[in-house]
Order: sequence, then C-alpha cells, then structure tokens
Amino acid sequence: MRKLMLGNEAVARGAWEARVAFGSGYPGTPSTEILEALAEHEEVAVQWAPNEKVGYEVAMGVSLSGHRALVTMKHVGLNVAADPFFSSSYMGVNGGLVVVSADDPGMASSQDEQDNRFLAKAAKVLMVEPCDPEESRWMAREAFALSEQFDSPVLLRMTTRVCHQTGVVKPQEREAWSSRGYLKDIPKNVLLPSHSKARRFKVEERLVRARGLSEASDRWNPILKGSADIGIVTSGVSFGYVREAMPEASILKLGMTYPLPIERIRLFASRVKRLVVIEELEPYIEAEIRNAGIPAVGRELLPFTGELNLPLVEEALLGAPRHKVTVDLGGVPMPTRPPTLCPGCSHRGMFTLFRDMKLRVMGDIGCYTLGALKPLAAMDACMCMGASVGMAEGLEKFGGPKEKGKTIGVIGDSTFFHSGIPGLIDMIVNRSEATLVILDNRWTAMTGGQPHPGTGKDIRGNDAPQLNVAQVCRALGVQRVREVDPFDLEATRVVLEEELAAPEVSVVVAVAPCILGARLKKGEAVQIAIEECDRCGACIRVGCMGIHEKDGFPSVDPDLCTGCRVCAQVCEKGAISLPGVGRA
Amino acid sequence: MEITNVLFSGVGGQGILTSSRVLALAAVHAGLDVKMSEVHGMAQRGGNVDTHVRIGKEVPSSLIPAGGAHFLVSFEKLEALRYMAFLRPDGVAYVCPLEIPPLTQNLKKDGGYLKGIDGILEEKAPHVIWVDAPAMARELGDLRMVNVILLGALSRSLPMKEEDWEAAIRERFPAKVQEACIRAFRMGADHVASNH
Repeated sequence: MRKLMLGNEAVARGAWEARVAFGSGYPGTPSTEILEALAEHEEVAVQWAPNEKVGYEVAMGVSLSGHRALVTMKHVGLNVAADPFFSSSYMGVNGGLVVVSADDPGMASSQDEQDNRFLAKAAKVLMVEPCDPEESRWMAREAFALSEQFDSPVLLRMTTRVCHQTGVVKPQEREAWSSRGYLKDIPKNVLLPSHSKARRFKVEERLVRARGLSEASDRWNPILKGSADIGIVTSGVSFGYVREAMPEASILKLGMTYPLPIERIRLFASRVKRLVVIEELEPYIEAEIRNAGIPAVGRELLPFTGELNLPLVEEALLGAPRHKVTVDLGGVPMPTRPPTLCPGCSHRGMFTLFRDMKLRVMGDIGCYTLGALKPLAAMDACMCMGASVGMAEGLEKFGGPKEKGKTIGVIGDSTFFHSGIPGLIDMIVNRSEATLVILDNRWTAMTGGQPHPGTGKDIRGNDAPQLNVAQVCRALGVQRVREVDPFDLEATRVVLEEELAAPEVSVVVAVAPCILGARLKKGEAVQIAIEECDRCGACIRVGCMGIHEKDGFPSVDPDLCTGCRVCAQVCEKGAISLPGVGRA
Repeated sequence: MEITNVLFSGVGGQGILTSSRVLALAAVHAGLDVKMSEVHGMAQRGGNVDTHVRIGKEVPSSLIPAGGAHFLVSFEKLEALRYMAFLRPDGVAYVCPLEIPPLTQNLKKDGGYLKGIDGILEEKAPHVIWVDAPAMARELGDLRMVNVILLGALSRSLPMKEEDWEAAIRERFPAKVQEACIRAFRMGADHVASNH
C-alpha cells in the first residue's frame, strides 16, 4: 500500500503501528500535527498538556506503567521539558518512551534556531533523525523498541522540512506488543544522589551498547556506495539535497545521530579521497568527526544559519547551483506581505489601545506577537513562553518613574496556563505594581486552534473540564482582577487606566473567542461614509486586511471585514458604521 | 532523473495547500513518486505562502530550486511576481488575475496596489497564462472552486491522466462537492485548451 502523508502524520502512524498507548505534548510549529493525527486513532489516549514539561512527566508515568508513550514538542519546548528529559535519562524506561523535538532551521515560526541534537548528547539520550515521511514512519515505530532495548528515552529529532514534507509512505500492520506491567525498582526510579551515582554508570554502559548498534547497523546508518572521489556524511533532510546534487557520490546517511558511529565513519572516510559533511545548522556531526582525528570539511562550505536547499548544497559540492535564475526582479518595488492579525481578531483593539496609550508592553508568544509589527508596533519585548509576566515585573520595578503606571505584561490564555502562572505568583508575593493583561480567546490560536485548559474541549473535540482565567488569578490571591470586552475600546481604556494607576498587582482579562478557533460566522461588513472622511488614516493604522487605502480614501473589503468595529471606534469623524446600526 | 516541479503561491487562506495536496494525490494515483513541502504556522496569518510539489519516478528532496520550476501556479498577482524567479527559462506561470493588497501597501500614502503589475508580470515571466478562476467559480456559483479550476488549467501540462485527477479529487473532497469539483476542474482544463 502507498499512502500520501505529511511527515508529522507519518510519525503518528509509526507510533500507532508500535502500539503506543499514550501521546501528549504542547502545540508548537512544526510539531503540532503529530498529536492531532494520533488522536484520529481512537484506541490511543491522546491529550494536550498545559506545557511540555507536564506532557513529558505524564508520558514518563505511562512508561513506568509499562506502556509505550509519545511526547511531542517544538525545539524550544524541549527547553521547558529539559528538566525531566535530562533526569529521565538516568531512570531509563519501562515501556518505550519517544520524545519528538521538531526543530525550526530558518526560524519560520520560532524565536530561535537552536539545534537540539546537542541536547540529546548533553542528556546522553539516543537520537534518531528521519529524512522524509516514510522514514518518519518507520523510525518512530522502531524508536519504541530502541527505547526498551537500551533502557533510555529516544529523541526523534525532526526539522520543519521533514515535519511539513508530504510524501509517499508504506504503512505496515501494527506490531504484536503488550505492556510489561509496572515494575517497582527504587534504585532505578528514585533519583536520590546515591541512586543517581549508580545510575550514572548505567547510562555510560548503555551508550557503549547503543554505539555498538549505531556502528553495526546498515538499517540505521546505511552506506550508499558510489564514487571513491568523494564521500559525504549527512543526515535528516540534508540527505535528499545531497542525493540530488551528487547522485554519483558515496554517502554515509546517518539515521542514528547519537551515539554517532565514529568507527563506521572512519572506515567510510578511509575508502574515499575526500570527506565532506553536509548538515543543517550547527556542525554537530562534523565536530565529532574532527575530534576523532578524521579529516573532514563541511561548515566552511555552507551558511551557518537558515535551512539548506538544493542550490546551497550544489554550491557546496559542485561550486555552483545547477539551475540558473533567469528572471530578474531587480528594480521592481515589491511590497512585503508579513503575516497579520486576522480580520475580526480580538487582539487588534487591545494593541490599538496599547499603542495609543503609549504603554510599555512586555509581550509573549502567540498570534498577538504580531502586535509588534507595523502599523500597531505596540510591543517592546517578547522572549519566550510566559516571559511577559516576569519581564513586566522587572521593568516596572527598575524602569524609574517613567515606567511607573505604564508597564504591562501581555500574555495569551494558553501561554498563561503554559508558564505564566508562576510569574504571576512572583508578582503577587514580591509586591509588583505592574499590570498583567491576559488575552483570553479560549484557543491556542497561532498553531491552528488547539484546545487548552480554558477551552472546555479535549483534542478530539469532546467536552472537557474548563478553567476560568479570572478565577485562577483570584484564587492565587490577586485582589484586582477585571474582565473586559476587547471589542469595546473605550470601556477597556478606562479599566486599563484604573488598573495601571493602582499601586498593586492587577490583572485585566480580555475575553472574546478566537474568530478562527471558535469557527464564528463572519458578521456584516462596516460601511464608510466617504463624504465625512478627513483621510486621517486612523482606521488604516489598526492594521486590518479588511480595510485598505484606495484612491486616497479608506475602502472596505466586504469579503474580509467581519464587522468587529475596531476601525469604527478609532474614527474621530464617526464615518464608519455597521449597516442598520448607529455610527460609533 | 526527470522531476517536474510545480510551485504554488498566494496569500494564506486561499486554498493553496488543498491544491497542492490534490496534485500530489493525482501523482500517487498515477504510480509516481512525489514530495511536497508546505507552510504552516506563522506564515498562514495573511502572509505570503508557497508550496512546492515535485513529481517524478524518484524524488529525493522536497524543495524546488530557484530557477528550477516548470510551472508556477499563483492565486494572486503580486504573489505570482514574488515567486517568478523560481521559474526555469522555459517555465510557465498560471496566474489568477486577483489583487489582494498587502498591509504594507496600505500604509503608503499613495495606497493601492503595485502599479502596472500586469505588464510587469508579462514582461518578467517567460510565459504567462491568465486563468480568471474567480470569474469561472462565480459562474459555477461557488467561490471555493478557484483551486480546482487552477488545477484543471495546469493539468494539461502534466503527465497524469484524467482518471488520476478524478481519483485525487474524490479522495480529497467530501462526497457532496466531488461532482462540482470535477466540473470545475474540467472548466479550468477547457479554458487552457481553448485559449492557448
């Protein structure tokens, strides 16, 4: 059977074939579709976790029970789960535990470009890297057996172009596998220092055994015999580019990249005149090869940042790309088209207010990070999940009188549940006077609308227990918690002014569902009374695809406009209104 | 190793992913290998999007090299121009005559859209075929048919047979719209056959 699958769907298929009992994780591009695809198999328990660390820990519990477990995240998610990741390496597993890290070379949807292959090495955890959807399937499947064989979690390291590559997969039957049952083992599973000291030796023994497999396996680390003039060591998505750029070359394709098969590489190198390493991001493989005293080149031939592609690999191997670019767009004033908040988005009015009130905004990770882009440009900093809260507290305390009453943290609801709550506890107990604005749209929106603890739905769309953001804040001990309607700009402005002036921590929760996540029906478009327009441009500066300038005047696209009225509320002339409704 | 490269471009939300997937499915039905690279996440919020589809006996990698696309299928004029450098010297651009002004354009005082874009497109592209898919879709009474109309227009240049395309459409779309999709697909194919 041949079936077309996305790399992420293929990982889910492989895990299902391996009879995985449980899948967890936190949404994050490019990893999100793995759990969504796994959830289509009713026999697997699949759930979103509030963050990657919790998802990892629940998966570890499932492994302890003797069942197989999968936990998925994007590369920066593994930073959040690094604590259990490193320590579980010492515990090992009972049922197989596979951890997906989906890295994002080129930062298509991420704040950094970290290469998580180094985390596998640092944690001494086995790592495998597929190059396409079919490999994603079988490597995911076999990673569970590897995990049990070597008593270690296994890192399945993906990258954007593997996760979001669609290709032909050959699905197989499910394995005959059943749970081993729970095994009580205190010295193995209770990481007291005295136990850890003993486990430390087990970890090293395991790596020696795993290296033996990596050295000997033609399945994981195949050699494609070719010309003796050049030997290329490569892994992951880069393999496809190498194969296409230089079909005649000898290739050592590494599927298991920790532990690396150094002696296999040495033997391969001895049979070719010149050894080249083609790998995306950091020179991880190349450094290990050079450390082993094997002469190799690679890094100097490739850019240090961004994704690889065929022309770059051709340039590295052949001196120039095969295809010449003949269309010259020089001189064409090509406008950029950056992503924007959707028409009808509940964040637009909030960021319009933040901008017009000249607030100092410590932002966070989500769709609303787009509030940093022109014309809103209403965000001062955004670092990582949950960081808005702590950064707002720190800036407000030390920013001097100019920042007093001006500094806010802005965080989405999913991000608040993910890692904003400890920051808010810090604000409370350390007497912060900053204001935290929580944008409560009930969905993890940027990754495509996944449910979170405030949604009231599970991953399969069934009803689930629902946490209320304002109640959580009150329960923690915040005295001043206000809920506002983000589509009512004036009322929201008044609340923000009052809470910014209050000499204690306050929380403002802006409640309105994500127009995409909640699948809301589009409302009727606004109308503009052109004769009353003074061309001030305020409506254009809310940054909405539904309204643009045409022949010097604002013009509404009725197919896009949802009638949210944010533009109408910033129009001082009152020229914008909903049909049949009085003007703002 | 002959590989046919088809690049789709447009604005997030226009149905580009669906088109690419149907093309890839048609290739699978024709017994060919296919690899496709798509865009998810941040890029989908009204930004420009592109998907790469590569078809052949054996396709090692999923990204089309610049200067290597046989066909560019664009759902929007500005996004046709943006990706034009991907075309080979003998490449063909199928372009939907639709204008979606980007927000950055909105902010300029002179407003509007890139002036004279039709002429620039025809000058820069090796060969342009205009496919007014939105007009044809309106004629059919369903604006969502734009993507299958464009696929129909493209289909005459690809090795897959009509039954491969039909099978792909039936696999991708729910039963109640399949017949309408196939009609729209044929309309796109006939448009190219009768005008070029």
